Amino acid sequence: MLRYLSTRLVRALLTICFVVTFAFVILRLSGDPALLILSPDAPPEAIEAFRKSWGLDRPLWEQYFHYFAAIAEGNLGRSMRDGRPALDLVLERVPATLALTIPALILKIGIGIPAGIYAALNRNKLADRLTMLFSVAGFTVPSFVLGLVLVLIFAVNLGWLPSGGSDSWVHGILPIITLGTAGAAVLARFTRSAMLEVLGQPYIRTASAKGLAWRRVVVDHALPNAAIPTVTIVGFMVGSLVAGAVVVESVFSWPGVGRLLVVAVANRDLAVVQTILLFVALTMVCANLTVDMLYGWIDPRLRTRRVAGAG
Amino acid sequence: MTRITRRTVLKAGVAASAVGVLPRFAVAQADDRPSITIAVQQIVNANTLEPLREQSNVGTRLMTSVFECLIEQDLQRELQQIPGLATEWKRIDDRTVELSLRRGAKFHNGDEVTADDVVFSFGPERMFGKSGAPEGKLFTGIIGGETKDLPPEVPAVAKRLWPALERIEAVDKYTVRFVNKQPDVTLEGRIARGGSQIISRRAFSEAKSWLDWARNPVGTGPYRVVEFRPDTSLTLAAFDEYWQGRPPIKQIRFVVVPEVASRINGLVSGQYDFACDIPPDQIPEVEKHARYEISGGLIGNHRLLCFDKAHPELKDPRVRLAMCHAIDRQLIVDALWAGRTRVPKGLQWEFYDQMFHADWSVPAYDPNLAKKLLREAGYKGGVIPYRVLNNYYTNQTSTAQVLIEMWRAVGLNVEIQMKENWGQIFDRNSQRGVRDWSNSAPFNDPVSSIVNQHGPKGQQQQIGEWTNAEMNTLSVELETSTDRPRRRAVFRRMLEICEREDPGYTVLHQTAVFTGKRKDIEWKPAPSFAMDFRSRNFKIKRA
Repeated sequence: MLRYLSTRLVRALLTICFVVTFAFVILRLSGDPALLILSPDAPPEAIEAFRKSWGLDRPLWEQYFHYFAAIAEGNLGRSMRDGRPALDLVLERVPATLALTIPALILKIGIGIPAGIYAALNRNKLADRLTMLFSVAGFTVPSFVLGLVLVLIFAVNLGWLPSGGSDSWVHGILPIITLGTAGAAVLARFTRSAMLEVLGQPYIRTASAKGLAWRRVVVDHALPNAAIPTVTIVGFMVGSLVAGAVVVESVFSWPGVGRLLVVAVANRDLAVVQTILLFVALTMVCANLTVDMLYGWIDPRLRTRRVAGAG
Repeated sequence: MTRITRRTVLKAGVAASAVGVLPRFAVAQADDRPSITIAVQQIVNANTLEPLREQSNVGTRLMTSVFECLIEQDLQRELQQIPGLATEWKRIDDRTVELSLRRGAKFHNGDEVTADDVVFSFGPERMFGKSGAPEGKLFTGIIGGETKDLPPEVPAVAKRLWPALERIEAVDKYTVRFVNKQPDVTLEGRIARGGSQIISRRAFSEAKSWLDWARNPVGTGPYRVVEFRPDTSLTLAAFDEYWQGRPPIKQIRFVVVPEVASRINGLVSGQYDFACDIPPDQIPEVEKHARYEISGGLIGNHRLLCFDKAHPELKDPRVRLAMCHAIDRQLIVDALWAGRTRVPKGLQWEFYDQMFHADWSVPAYDPNLAKKLLREAGYKGGVIPYRVLNNYYTNQTSTAQVLIEMWRAVGLNVEIQMKENWGQIFDRNSQRGVRDWSNSAPFNDPVSSIVNQHGPKGQQQQIGEWTNAEMNTLSVELETSTDRPRRRAVFRRMLEICEREDPGYTVLHQTAVFTGKRKDIEWKPAPSFAMDFRSRNFKIKRA
């Protein structure tokens, strides 16, 4: 198990190094932070002074090595736009994003998984078709369109909810619904497919033939076996908790990590972008590790295979 | 004789307490001023409220509420110079202006504005920087982040604003003198421009770092900063000791709403009282709601096209002039702006007053002349790249598409290259041709625009796009000459060079900004990006 974990950690570190390098090259070659932050109307000498003060006038390789060395020492750098440590800026925004993404995740799981199970158990019936119709609609409508439609209905026409901002929990309702809808649709489809595959397996027929109640067949035999693909998808959703609401945060003016990322990329604010990417990579890696461990818990055969492989 | 009993003592005590409490209660009750929320695309670009670092149009919108200059620009008329923190001013000589300060004007921290604050506002600690300041480090250090050292771009901006300021003298507590190194007729204009706002010396000194100061500055404007959450919101509160009288709004909250649709939805659902930066094609969306309207119009900013005369096809000025004559500017104004802006008289504004050339005009729309010029120049249809950002300016992409067709109609082969940011627009690694820009005039003289933007130190020449020897000589003369008729002639000649003889740019149209607002609010937009919320310009109509 230790060897397995250490292999995964080394892979994760290599991935993070690749992500950091890729982001550095793309960001530094595709725009000048001085022009973006100070605006093109700033005097040329101010733009030059800004470049010099941040070392943007030095060769790219030198910038890269300095930056990488600083990260290795645990210094993620300062925002060129804000002047404050990039880590502080990101950490400030994380609670706001989690305030959206965690309830949205609960919504996704709470609606998506039961809907998928319900559709599978009623295969080809009206209930199945209606569930899948809503699922396809929820999956295909872009979140910015859904968000704006919800605002038009609930804020502009009915006046029940605010159209944007983050002043109170009420402001979070529409963005959470917008975020939750697409995820619930995805989960419903995956759960349905997984359940249908499991329900067609011989052991389900055997369990039924033994005279077990259908409810027990579903709960004890079908659901645990259908859980693996669903857990994988939920794992991805957990991994995107930190920066998975970029569009929704922009539409609803929600001051989270997603908005910070958009502004930082637009301004080529390297330290902030890199810090967010590191956070995303870290949450993804943690989510993947957790999912891997859950696989073994859900399906003991995988655990045995892993131990045998390690031995 | 009245007897003093336990009861009378208690009564007296209650009465005494009431005397202390009631007036405050009464004041609180009387403050029935409204609070408003303004949805903006962005509060500031550079994430500080220091005018010397925030050199953007969006920042201009709120600076007037927090800061003031010694001489103000009249936002209710055409930006004429009017008394601000100085009640009067006079010329001592060609290099010196003396100003009398307004007695009793106060900063938000309660201090009176004195000559000492004025001298400090233009001094090395706040504006020009101390010599020998340390340099920042690669991505990990910033000057001004944790110290009082100025970020290097601040002195650079200050030196551009005041290229030849020798010193400022405090003659007495209420009198200051600006002394320039060379004769300069624009000194009053520079005193009135953004970046020359007066700040509290004590507040700056008490701030822990430059960044702390720049996030919570102390000026003399009608509203004081309560809370600034970068990229999210800025809350201002009425400064009741404001010298022009009690502000009409209790609290102003600017909130960042990046999407236009979200700003409009927020306005018409009653969440916001103002929604800024409404593009012309969205005006009907606001106006179809009976309780809301669009306010706004022309501001002191022109949209232009800039030419890179190093491009082989653009070396011949006749090709550039042909491009200018091929543009039907009025059609762009009518089709894309619904006639809500206008074609100005070149790179100049009426508030230049005596320096304004009313008989000047941009090159007329004349396709036949354009074709003739191209024939004479021997243009063979070579590709001219046109670098365009995706609607950095209002209607930018659609204007570019219209221009391409207008140029195609006279035989010009111009190709749009969509770019993501200004670095890519200025990139010299591939051949540049044409690009978009806008120019403002921060004060009422052509030095503030044609010289600062197209002269030898202007952006166009600094990035190697265009230069002209005569223009450069004239720029120096315009900056230093005090002979007003001669200056007027020099400016005329500059317009001839830059817009006709050797076109460096061509003006397309004046910029207009539109703000959606509640109809019951009486508020007049300024002819600039600034928003004026003083008592003379804000009132809620009673139903």
